[in-house]
Amino acid sequence: MDPQERIQAASKFLLQSPPGEINDVLNDVRNIISDDDTLQAGVLPALQEYNLAQFITASVPGRQHQSIVSEAARVPSGGEDEEADGEDRFWDPRSRTSFKFDHLTLEAKEPQSYEPEAESEPFRTALETSALTYISAHFHDGVVSVFPTHGALNKYVIQVVANKYNPANFWSGRWRSEYIVDLEARTITGRILVNVHYYEQGNVQLSTTHTISLELPSGIASSPEASSASKILAIISDEETKYQTSLNESYQDMGDKTFKSLRRALPMTRAKLDWDKVLGYKLGVELSGGKGGFGAST
Amino acid sequence: MADLVDSMLDLMRRLPPTNVEDNVNTLIEMCPDYADDLLGSVDQPLKVLLDKATGKEYLACDYNRDGESYRSPWSNEYDPPLEDGTVPSAKLRKLEVTANEAFDTYREMYFEGGVSSVFLWDLDEGSSDDKSEPSGTWDSIHVFEAAERGRQAHYKLTSTIMLSMINRGVNPGADKEKEKIEVKRENETALSGSMTRQIEQDQPLQEFTSHITNIGKMIEDMEIKMRNLLQEVYFGKTRDVVFDLRSLEDLEKSRMQRELQKELLGSLGKRT
Repeated sequence: MDPQERIQAASKFLLQSPPGEINDVLNDVRNIISDDDTLQAGVLPALQEYNLAQFITASVPGRQHQSIVSEAARVPSGGEDEEADGEDRFWDPRSRTSFKFDHLTLEAKEPQSYEPEAESEPFRTALETSALTYISAHFHDGVVSVFPTHGALNKYVIQVVANKYNPANFWSGRWRSEYIVDLEARTITGRILVNVHYYEQGNVQLSTTHTISLELPSGIASSPEASSASKILAIISDEETKYQTSLNESYQDMGDKTFKSLRRALPMTRAKLDWDKVLGYKLGVELSGGKGGFGAST
Repeated sequence: MADLVDSMLDLMRRLPPTNVEDNVNTLIEMCPDYADDLLGSVDQPLKVLLDKATGKEYLACDYNRDGESYRSPWSNEYDPPLEDGTVPSAKLRKLEVTANEAFDTYREMYFEGGVSSVFLWDLDEGSSDDKSEPSGTWDSIHVFEAAERGRQAHYKLTSTIMLSMINRGVNPGADKEKEKIEVKRENETALSGSMTRQIEQDQPLQEFTSHITNIGKMIEDMEIKMRNLLQEVYFGKTRDVVFDLRSLEDLEKSRMQRELQKELLGSLGKRT
């Protein structure tokens, strides 16, 4: 493999990192590649791709809250922040702050105030207020950001992320959800992604995807901002609760049906095998798959 | 460089189990010198091959591999044929034949289908069971070492079970109530992974075939134990983490209730 292919392979590994373990994966990859200079420059695009896709959060400089760094959070190009390094700025609509984000250290730096588009701001703020209430009601450590869509007046993106990392007990988990609220088309399209990693003497992962698309009830768009925003969040809350309940049912299904059909807890006889007997007789043709015959070389 | 292998193994412990074959291949391409270390330490899903001589299916894994060829436990032949492929000694081959018959019975009793193969070689031994269903797969690999000490044998058993299940649904829960608005939902839930456990045990050895009864019992007990463990981790632990992330109950409400309770207790305390 030439150096570039090795970096590509390393990037592929990084993108598969379980929640909160990107640094562990990076350390492994570093040791395997053993060429820090090439690696550091080479894997930056993968780190950025991972962070944006995974809704990595940043502590907003000078604020007490966290904000999601994602594609939706990118400062539109051609804006007032366009400088030499302007393409890598993200913003937190809640505090109207833009910042530079370091994809390796996950630090937000060089904050600047950022003026949102005035027309979409009232409804965005209303959505944000309802979303924050929803988050604190249903997530233990949830972060939510609500973004306007650049160039589309009545389209908003709500992103939610909740992480729990517990390396001491070998598990980690991440819940991501995203909703695109389109007042013009009167639709909400969303997705929920859950990842769990359990790795004490093993490697067990839960990976789920769930997509939703629904029509907004008539009247929502014409209600006052605060009331239609809270109705939209009520729909989202209801969908997420339904999903979580159905996930619980999936667990039940897999446990009761799939798992049991794969391997019995005990044979039909309800007793463990009598190995002396097993050695003593052969169970006949039906047990060897009806094909009969055994070792030709005996 | 031992720690390079450690890094590779740590990586395989973290990356999604569903991509294990692909990721192992990439690592081998990156570090071809470590191919044997990696293939020998990372368990991969078992492949089913057909023994052309007997028409019976057997499993392909690192334990019956020689170069690109795999040895069938039924005919003892390599496919593609090998002139000088490693085979067990005559005495061990006889035990292998008996062990394959015994584990065929074991497999049928617990899995009611699937394929099992036992491979023995002088020094250490391996056995595998496998069964697959459309919605899930169970692969177990049991590798054991037996050291004879007079009329006793010391066994070291390393068992790995790879289990994966997928559940797909369209509009889950939608028919349970009349919905006022048009909704479309689709979901996929994948639970997959592997767990490894190890035990050592001494057992009496009356005759050479006692190895089969001894190791048979050890494997049976281990699989029963690990089946419980898998159930706990797959359906208990990973589910708990999801409910640790998001709560079905309104957390604010329960917070307020707790506050209220505290206040009530406080005022009761003052009165008495």
